[in-house]
Amino acid sequence: MKSLTRNKEIKGPKLGPFSASKTKRVQSPLSKSDSVVKVILSLFGFISASFIVFILFFITTRGILPFITNNNGLGSVNFFSFISGTVWLNGPTFVSTAYSAGFLIINTLYIAFLSLLLSFPIGVLTALFIAKIAPKHVANFLRTVIELLASIPSIVYGLVGVGLFLPAIYSFARSLGYSSGGGSGTLATVIVLALMSIPTITSISEVSIRSVDESLEHASLALGATPTQTRFKISLLAAKSGIFSGAILAIGRSLGEATAVSLVAGNAKSGPTFGLFDITSTLTSTMLEGLKETTGIDYDIRFSVGIILMVVILLTNFLLNQLKNRIGHQYE
Amino acid sequence: MKKLLVSMMIGLVILAGCSSANNGDDSDNDGFANEKINVYTRDTSSGTRDGFMSGIGFKEAATDDSVLVSGFITNNNAAIMSAMTTDISGIGYVSLASVNNTVKALSFEGVEASEANVMNDTYGLKRPFNWMRRSDGDFANERERDLTLAFIAFLESNDGADVINDEGATAVSSTGNWATLVSEYPVCELDNSDVTLNFGGSDSITRIAEALSAAFSPRCGNVNTVNNHTGSSDGYKRAQGEEKDGINGVHIGYASRPFTDAEKVGAEDTRGQLAWDAIVAIVHNDNPTTNITAQQLVEIYRGDITTWGEILDAQ
Repeated sequence: MKSLTRNKEIKGPKLGPFSASKTKRVQSPLSKSDSVVKVILSLFGFISASFIVFILFFITTRGILPFITNNNGLGSVNFFSFISGTVWLNGPTFVSTAYSAGFLIINTLYIAFLSLLLSFPIGVLTALFIAKIAPKHVANFLRTVIELLASIPSIVYGLVGVGLFLPAIYSFARSLGYSSGGGSGTLATVIVLALMSIPTITSISEVSIRSVDESLEHASLALGATPTQTRFKISLLAAKSGIFSGAILAIGRSLGEATAVSLVAGNAKSGPTFGLFDITSTLTSTMLEGLKETTGIDYDIRFSVGIILMVVILLTNFLLNQLKNRIGHQYE
Repeated sequence: MKKLLVSMMIGLVILAGCSSANNGDDSDNDGFANEKINVYTRDTSSGTRDGFMSGIGFKEAATDDSVLVSGFITNNNAAIMSAMTTDISGIGYVSLASVNNTVKALSFEGVEASEANVMNDTYGLKRPFNWMRRSDGDFANERERDLTLAFIAFLESNDGADVINDEGATAVSSTGNWATLVSEYPVCELDNSDVTLNFGGSDSITRIAEALSAAFSPRCGNVNTVNNHTGSSDGYKRAQGEEKDGINGVHIGYASRPFTDAEKVGAEDTRGQLAWDAIVAIVHNDNPTTNITAQQLVEIYRGDITTWGEILDAQ
């Protein structure tokens, strides 16, 4: 995953130091073993690509059941109140079908946006430090640390959130005269998600900052700009397309994270929630909650939430990519 | 960009500073009276929630979130425990087995929540887990009867008690190690992999029942076990009642409530209790409240009582 995005980023600036070592692919007639390998590789490629079809098919067939069947006599779920309502379930579980996920969509987007607001500057500035300022051994050390952070499982981030941030946020809210639910809520979720997305933003931004053409920076310095001016106005701007890709991946991670979020969100059953200290819930945390212990419509409805989540993620990615293309590359 | 970073750093420092600033100075009663109650609950699929809500007489809240006070926090067992260590004004509930000294367990109707008070039946917020087996003449063959008796001996053994306690309930008997008891049940020496024991009844007991089945099978000739739990009333119906000879008949049926007189038709030794499921209302250690009644709990969870002052005044 990481190396994949890295390769993509290096493509960006055309005349960078990396492109100097461009190697031409040598065309030779395929031997028998080569063509066998080619078939095997394309088979694997096909298999992994087809998973998306399986997943979409599975989630969709399961997720539309609550809307099109009468759920063993309970009546079907109304789609429009499902995507617009403000209370998760109005009535007893296994009896009522008045499910709504509208407020969850708003909560999810709101939280993802706030967490990006927090993680983006930290992530990008860390990347700038690693790529341009830090001495080589410090940079190598930091790079390893960031990679380690990226590989920490989300449940661990969630536990850190529960053990460290919740008490801190609770006391902070208390000192402001606000009695929060043990610190659970929007702020805790945003901080945990921001922590999780910083490594993604940093490692992708760092690669794209490093691959900025050095002659641009030299030109800037030669024209009398200070190193700081050069870093912010030339290096960062030239790498903005790659930095933006990092932000898109970070948003994707924030939107899709379930475990850590469900530990610190407080899992509100109605909303939407905008207050930083108020308990909240997202599409994913609601899907996860009680998943292993429930059956029937209360189980199937989580697949419906899954469809909504996939649509939200696809739409967000699409819009952000459009935005990225509009911003474009700076020096081309 | 720079300014943003600096202001964020300052924000983080303030946040960290506050965490250690004012711990414990809210514990005096005066300050507590206006304290808003933060209500914590398990989600609707939780057996503990079912036990708690039925225990305090708020049965409809067992599966319905919309009757609860607004702004309640839904969390799992561990998260409720950890929330009670930080949230001074919170109230939650967990099973007795999870309680430790990081939180304060409230007495219920004046009786302290302890294993001893559960066993002597004075602590009220609990429910019994009972079993009922087929009557002696109702077994298809000798072997199934012997296996059923062996299973009951197992659930009453130390090994069975461990399984029950691991699942969060309080086992009522531990008659000895299964390794020695097994000699009284020669049927367990045979290869029983062609026999299937059926279990059913209460669904709140599913986890314990499945754990017992799973632990029993390898200890008794790999007998097959099927657990199909549908509700406490089916415990009697499918073991000794009208469905006992139908396709849903079970060898052992469970109930998470006392058997009614109408259900006690079989011989005395065909039924018994395996465990108590005791649930405890918990609060922060700094909360001055010590006792709570069923009525108060209902009013808190329904949203009629919203501040701790109303609870403290009643004490």
